[in-house]
Amino acid sequence: MNSRRILSLARRVILQVLHDRRTLVLIVVGPLIILNLLAILFRTAPAAIPLGVVNEDLGITSPVGGTINLGQRIADELAAGDTFTLVALDREAVDSSLRDDSVQAVIVFPEDFTTHFLQDRQAVLEVRLEGSDPTRSQAISAQVTQAAMRSLASLAGTAMGASPITQAGEGTLPVTLHATYLFGGQEFDAMDYVAPVYIAFLGMFFVFLLACVAFLRERSQGTMERLAATPATRTDIVLGYMIGLGLFALIQVAAILFYTVWVLKIHYLGSLGLLFLVIALLAVAGVTMGILASAFARTEFQVIQFIPLVIFPQALLGGLFWPVSDLPAYLQPFAYLMPLYYANRAMRDVMLKGWGLAEIWPNLAILVGFIAALIVLSALMMRREVA
Amino acid sequence: MTSDDVVQTNELHKRFGPIHAVDGVTLSVRRGEIYGLLGPNGSGKTTLIRLLLGLLRPTSGSIRLLGEDMPNKAILGQVGYMTQTSALYEELSVRENVAFFAEMCGRKDRVWMDEVIELVELQDRSRSPVRTLSGGLRQRTSLACTLAHRPRLLLLDEPTVGVDPQLRATFWSYFRRLADSGVTLIVSSHVMDEAERCDRLGFMRQGKLLAEGTAAEIRRQKGAGTLEEAFLQFAAAGLEGDSR
Repeated sequence: MNSRRILSLARRVILQVLHDRRTLVLIVVGPLIILNLLAILFRTAPAAIPLGVVNEDLGITSPVGGTINLGQRIADELAAGDTFTLVALDREAVDSSLRDDSVQAVIVFPEDFTTHFLQDRQAVLEVRLEGSDPTRSQAISAQVTQAAMRSLASLAGTAMGASPITQAGEGTLPVTLHATYLFGGQEFDAMDYVAPVYIAFLGMFFVFLLACVAFLRERSQGTMERLAATPATRTDIVLGYMIGLGLFALIQVAAILFYTVWVLKIHYLGSLGLLFLVIALLAVAGVTMGILASAFARTEFQVIQFIPLVIFPQALLGGLFWPVSDLPAYLQPFAYLMPLYYANRAMRDVMLKGWGLAEIWPNLAILVGFIAALIVLSALMMRREVA
Repeated sequence: MTSDDVVQTNELHKRFGPIHAVDGVTLSVRRGEIYGLLGPNGSGKTTLIRLLLGLLRPTSGSIRLLGEDMPNKAILGQVGYMTQTSALYEELSVRENVAFFAEMCGRKDRVWMDEVIELVELQDRSRSPVRTLSGGLRQRTSLACTLAHRPRLLLLDEPTVGVDPQLRATFWSYFRRLADSGVTLIVSSHVMDEAERCDRLGFMRQGKLLAEGTAAEIRRQKGAGTLEEAFLQFAAAGLEGDSR
């Protein structure tokens, strides 16, 4: 140990970083951007959940308390909080509304809902859930049950409700929730819900870095200069990279899919071939993003700095942790700029809803569009070094 | 220009901000000629070569290579370019590197590739990854890559840097054989004994082509005994010109 040498080394390291302005800025600004994003995301109150209500309850009219419609009371209670926005529906429209995402769940009050309650001292709530997000399903079930409990409790004040509520046996709730699922079901756990997104994210992340470094080395070792002095055009080079690295992306995608499906035993519906296609497209987009990003980096160290700038926002905004519909309105356009968002949607539609090419093709078409745009941009960015 | 002119530039200028890297170079190189581009470091040799290849856009002036106006991507298939540092794919073997650059120019000829690899005396190492080679061996691989597609015009940027004297002699006798077979070579260098082997020389300083001619002509012009003295005198004269 020699303290002078250590200090000289430290000084040299400091000088190197100081000479690399971009690194300096990123070290300070990068974490702030991410923290800021996280603060926004965690502080955003989840948007109100659209809840469908089919109220066919005829209620009951008694000489003492007037007309009582229990279904209406529960619906009013649900509407009172910020948790739900209610959408009145017909019975026939339940599944189609769930399918097109206009509601997340539907509560159905049959004609004899109030009558039944008075007879059995039990309110049986029929809830139909969209079901692809188990966490959300649970939250909706819990909220609906609580709202029903509160409205039944308020009945206690009326002559009508007094006896049944107070006489209800200890430990037995006067509310039972009978849930059915459009997609998924109780056997789908949280991992099943996030798996499609993770698969897509990982498929993109590694090839992005690989492409970034490979392309950067082409420049740093001088072979790009040599390549530029051959008849090879910029587009030739980008496409060549895309196919070459794309092959490894496909191998990786196959390995990821195999592992999640057969080893981690993720529940999935839909076709495996279609899943492969979606991730493969995203991986190819990752390669082209890497080539484009490498144009902005001079060293491999700077490539690492792209992780916070390119990868994290995709992870945070692309629907990996927060549903895009819950993002603040001014952040949502960013999500639409990210290939990951479209891949996520397609993956979830296939894995959780069992949809086919006929339903998910718009997302795939957008991914292909992204790839084409990235190829053009990468080729244009190379202009600086390849005349 | 005559039909024999393989390289032809007219009043070529290249500015990088305030720096005038190439300053009004008019040059013509005939078919089968070895043209030596001499000059100190930073005199604009590399910039000139990169301009010729179309790797840089000239600020003004025109360039014709092999009868075609530059930039022209297609014509580059007949041009061989050896960069100053041996730009090679580290993971690939010598042979794979040579094959790749041949394919990029649209010509892959196994017999010729063997011949090129033998020329640079790398037949024993042709399967070795470039990563494992010493500096001199890399330089040889780099030359092999430059020749892989049988170019008609060679632009060699200091090809003999890091090459031992014996191999340097081999390189030069090969350059001469190529020239005799009709290939045109532009070779940049700052080694004077190499200059003697060129058919014609151009002396560059601060982006200007200060003097041109055969080695004998250049010596005679300044009444100098050696090329080195002649160039020192040209350089000094150039300096006076600058200060005026």
